[in-house]
Amino acid sequence: MASKTTIAAAAFAGLTMMASTAGAAPTREQYRLFRALSIDLQGRIPLPDEVADFERPGFDLDGWIDTHLTGPAYAERMRRVYMDLLRLDIGTMFNFVSNPVVLRRVQVMDPSGAPVFVYFRRGQRRDRVESDGDFCLSPAETGVTVAGNGTLSGTAQPIDAAVWAQRTVEVRPWWLYSDYRTASPTLRIGATDQSTMALSPVPGLLTEADGHTPTVTVRVCREEAQTPEQAPMYLSGRIAALPTTVPYPGGRVTAPPTDSAYSRAHPTDMVSCTSGTGVSFAAGCGCGVGLERCMPGTSTTNDPAAFSLPNFVPLGADTPLDNAQQSQGDWTRFWWVQEAVHFLDDLFANDRDVRTMLSDRSTQVNGPLAQFYRSFAGSTCCGGGTQFNYVAPDPLFDPANVPADLTPHQVTTWRRIADRGPHASGILTMPIFLQKYGTRRARAHVLYGAFMCRQFVAENVALTPSTEPNLMVRPGCQACHATLEPMAAYFSRVSESSWTFLPSASFPTFNPACVSTRPNVAPNGGCGTYYDPAFSAGGNGMLRGAYGSPQHADEGPAGIAQVITADPNFAGCVAQNVGEAFLGRTFTADDQALRDTLSTALSSNGFRMRALVRALLRADAYRRANNLDPAAASQGANP
Amino acid sequence: MTNTARTLVVSALVALGCNGTPAARTPAPDAQAPVSRPATDITPTPVTAIPGHESLAQDTAPKEAPRLMPAETLIRSYLTLFGGLSPIAFQTRMRTTTTGEALFDTWADYLSALGIPDYTADIPRAAQTNTLQLAAYERIAVALCERAVQNDLRGAAASAQVLFTFDLPAGRSLTDAEFATRFDVLHRRALGYPAALAPDTRVPRFLALYRSAETAHADAGVGSQRRFTGPEAGWAGVCEGLLRHPEFHLY
Amino acid sequence: MDQHRRTFLKILGGAAGVGIASQPLFRALADPPAQASDEFFVLVHASGGWDVTVGLDPRNERRGIIEPANTSVCDTSAIRHWANQVLDDGTTTTFQTLQPPGTSLRLGPAIGNLYDYADRLSVFNGLAMNTVSHPDGTYFVSTGRHLAGGKPVAASIDTMLANEFGREQLLPSVSVGFPSTFVGPHLDARVAPLRVASVATVSRVLSRGNVNTNADDRSAVTALLTQEAQDLAARSYYRDALTGFALQFQSLPRMLAPDVQPIFNASGLALAQPSFFPTPGLRFQAGAAVNCAFAVEAMKRNLVRCVSFASGSHDTHSTNYRNQLLIQQELFDTLANLLRALDATPHPTRIGARLADHTHILVVSDFCRTPQINLTSGRDHYPNGSALVISPKFRGGTSFGSADPDQLLPQDAGTFADGTRAVGPADVLATMLTAMGVDPRRYMRDGDVVRAMLRA
Repeated sequence: MASKTTIAAAAFAGLTMMASTAGAAPTREQYRLFRALSIDLQGRIPLPDEVADFERPGFDLDGWIDTHLTGPAYAERMRRVYMDLLRLDIGTMFNFVSNPVVLRRVQVMDPSGAPVFVYFRRGQRRDRVESDGDFCLSPAETGVTVAGNGTLSGTAQPIDAAVWAQRTVEVRPWWLYSDYRTASPTLRIGATDQSTMALSPVPGLLTEADGHTPTVTVRVCREEAQTPEQAPMYLSGRIAALPTTVPYPGGRVTAPPTDSAYSRAHPTDMVSCTSGTGVSFAAGCGCGVGLERCMPGTSTTNDPAAFSLPNFVPLGADTPLDNAQQSQGDWTRFWWVQEAVHFLDDLFANDRDVRTMLSDRSTQVNGPLAQFYRSFAGSTCCGGGTQFNYVAPDPLFDPANVPADLTPHQVTTWRRIADRGPHASGILTMPIFLQKYGTRRARAHVLYGAFMCRQFVAENVALTPSTEPNLMVRPGCQACHATLEPMAAYFSRVSESSWTFLPSASFPTFNPACVSTRPNVAPNGGCGTYYDPAFSAGGNGMLRGAYGSPQHADEGPAGIAQVITADPNFAGCVAQNVGEAFLGRTFTADDQALRDTLSTALSSNGFRMRALVRALLRADAYRRANNLDPAAASQGANP
Repeated sequence: MTNTARTLVVSALVALGCNGTPAARTPAPDAQAPVSRPATDITPTPVTAIPGHESLAQDTAPKEAPRLMPAETLIRSYLTLFGGLSPIAFQTRMRTTTTGEALFDTWADYLSALGIPDYTADIPRAAQTNTLQLAAYERIAVALCERAVQNDLRGAAASAQVLFTFDLPAGRSLTDAEFATRFDVLHRRALGYPAALAPDTRVPRFLALYRSAETAHADAGVGSQRRFTGPEAGWAGVCEGLLRHPEFHLY
Repeated sequence: MDQHRRTFLKILGGAAGVGIASQPLFRALADPPAQASDEFFVLVHASGGWDVTVGLDPRNERRGIIEPANTSVCDTSAIRHWANQVLDDGTTTTFQTLQPPGTSLRLGPAIGNLYDYADRLSVFNGLAMNTVSHPDGTYFVSTGRHLAGGKPVAASIDTMLANEFGREQLLPSVSVGFPSTFVGPHLDARVAPLRVASVATVSRVLSRGNVNTNADDRSAVTALLTQEAQDLAARSYYRDALTGFALQFQSLPRMLAPDVQPIFNASGLALAQPSFFPTPGLRFQAGAAVNCAFAVEAMKRNLVRCVSFASGSHDTHSTNYRNQLLIQQELFDTLANLLRALDATPHPTRIGARLADHTHILVVSDFCRTPQINLTSGRDHYPNGSALVISPKFRGGTSFGSADPDQLLPQDAGTFADGTRAVGPADVLATMLTAMGVDPRRYMRDGDVVRAMLRA
């Protein structure tokens, strides 16, 4: 029997050898390392040819690693680390359903008695009381009633030919024609290959109401077919709501809209048709050329079916696992996620400074995202902001910076946008982040965990009743909120559950026009939406969320990005997150040296992630570690 | 004490027949109550300085637990094992049948069981396996291996073979040596290293599995409930064993 | 199994005896055997943070900062127990609280059909959550520990119970979106929660064709792999993952048995348990209904030990607060359906007993919602909570703990080992374990037993 020393020596002999050892066949441990590297850097187990290459004498493993640290699979691997941390996707309940954007459709009878779909958008201003803010054809004209929630009732009747011609028009829309911007579109979209990503309208959008005739043009309410970028303020003359005791004109079941105080005060103003204000203030605003400022739907429901797209894309949007008919909101949500995915892929593939994940004004867009930022994003603005003369959005992503030539059909064409605009800041100003983390505090909280590796853990104290509104000092709340509120304040100028920016010119942090006259009672009108009565003092109302730090509120999301990335713990946190992901376990106190090594590799190389990963893959914990029990090794087992 | 140093000493003790239990990784500070220990003055002593330990080989490698292959990587690996089809093409290929095999459903049916994270519901990535996950591994491995047998082992040209990139002798069983050669092809493909470097039991164990299936399917054919021939069933089983193997899913 | 299979397994056994494979195997197997049990568990996470002021801790007065739910912000049209009560301003209409006879409980109108089972309800109010963060609150109520470094640091209650009572069960713990964790000592790899997005999708994973090869073929592979995993574990420094494989391979044949697949099929469940699926359908708790139907079918067959799930979001910050009452009512209706089904279903192993006699239900939520109604007609997060237990081991028709009348904050509930304080989630979990005869300290760092809630 061999001595223990001999057995142990044989067992451990291979442990210090690397695969590049000239002339020696790889050990099992070296094969295991190569397989692990393939899984981490290629996103799959190695192919036979790759194993054969590895086995050749003189194989340069470090060179192989360096080569694969530039590939798309490496970028995907790194992206997965951060997507696992941030979980940037949202359920369908958070779908983007914006009435100024959604073109719903009603089936009516044309003058010949044939069933026809007519598209319209809710809230569209029109110049007659029978249909203002409603479907353009009244129940009296169609026999069909469209309730406020989209429910249809009644029996369709042929529409008078003159009304039909006057109130509706035919359009060749963007979802049917890739050349929809030309004077006479001809390139009609047909059925697409379901295994690849493409703009693919659901069958209901491709056929007429008879169920089989291919749709060549769509009929749409005349107002929706308008194309101006701006239109004059519309005043109906109605100041008070019509009484509910008498039938509404034309048999409509919803009350006609009244003229707002803002519109009465600005009767000669022009209104932006790409803002939400446009649809509610101007009868001259429509869906633009080829209806490109609107999303189609096959019904009058809240979030109607629109396009086919995958439910599952764990291998990337270009490699879908399925394909299904989905709603217009699903379409937008899907591309929001993909913006973050492509932004992260670009960051890692090009080894950009990892700090720019939070701070960069660049992003990646494809056709659908270009359409969203050009035509849809502004539709959430400006609601109650009109009281503050805020009627045209000061956007997080300036539509002027969206490539004009990207059309909605270019779903696989991605462009890097170097500068979204002055308010943009990495993922922090992307719709998917702002929707996933809808509140100021939620946004700050997730950043605190994911990029500072810290967690808010409350004191184990009894919460006593208190009237103190300031959570930074209130007993029991203070432990977390003293840190959280100032961080959350950076998001005070980005509306909650939205991406509408609140510029200081319209929404000063301290606003004398929004001071509360009574404690804890909201100030007048729209002030209550934007200003917090609890912090109204010194003759000023305080912008909501800003009380944690008015200065932070004015610095915006870019401010918190700067603070986090300048934090001494930032590099260590990146190192920990990446190290834990690659090693498949939580770091412990034993890992401090590795954490420090990785952190230094990152910070001393311009915060380029590739340097960190290279250091990790060469670290003993990755390269030399094995799982062989010493007792088994002593009996001759190989690692 | 670092992992490496601790392992070094522990390994040395074990190698010498001393009683030693590998220490667990130090828990995070929050995971256990603080423990106070009396201060002691222990002078560090190299193991080699201990009489009788001068020539002791030392395991200086740190120890790491194997981690579970990410579900995305697993799916992509399945795809490459069957010739690099797209997921939808793979699904179509697995489902297409004229014999009611019902080998595969849709990827969507398996994703949750495979442990893929669901960001919409904040369901994290699975870090450890469960029985359902192993059932999903089996479901997919059976589909992949049986389709590969049908594609590769029924006279396909070498260029058309996707997984079983070898031939079978006509009209006779493989010898043990012939089995071992072919097994090595699959072993390398699935586990990334030669079967010769596996624990000694690996080849005999899979050979026994192969022979067992070969015997069980000896009556395959018309009138039999067993559609695969002996060699086909044998290689399907071997393939499944490798694609469901812990070493396939852990790394 | 035919002869050649036995021969093959014999070979396996022989191979297993070679070398290091014959060493003592698993820590898990060295643990004390699982307690023989006829008990079942259903654990529910009302995700998002429910509004206790309309359910388990009702408030129908303006007092302090409390603004009661009222008809201007709530849709009450489908709330069966809503009875109008006008507040002192003469215009705001809130609700009348319910006081089920024979109990000391006060309940809100969202309690739904669970009102009929009030004598079985054990309510913990005024839970000191000390958090308004969803992740933290979610794992606090399921593990009794706050997150550390953003990660759970203890086993969740379903895992604890499965580890005690479910190790030999085919499905020790099925978790459908429940905040299940598998962290800590003493855990058997077999009880790692089967985490699925929906029980209805699982049947496909379990289906098998038998045309080319058959169950015997697959069993032979599984037997081989069990041995491989055991051998690899025996030579490993960190054994958990490989031990898990081995144990789960051993469980696999039972999971693939013909009686298992139907319980993972939505249409099959609807047929077997139609009472869970009313017409018109549920707006918010259709998933909970499927999960409860699954629980009954799986328990009836003695296949599962613990079913846990999350029920549709109660996170109503804005105008979606209009639905808060209905969200809760549908959940409580579904639980009432569950009780009815458990009452009507014989226990699978105890002759003459009903499932209801041995099934224990726990319902928790991240925290509760603010007593104030915000500008967008919703309620935000608030560091108080309530929990509901329905168990034959607990005293029914009673409550423990309270929140103060002005600010809905947890109040001192009694004297615990660490002094006088409010009751907390760890106390609820510790009490649950104690009720089942399990020493909480085996799994939990914190938590005292609230014996007042336990039957003698």
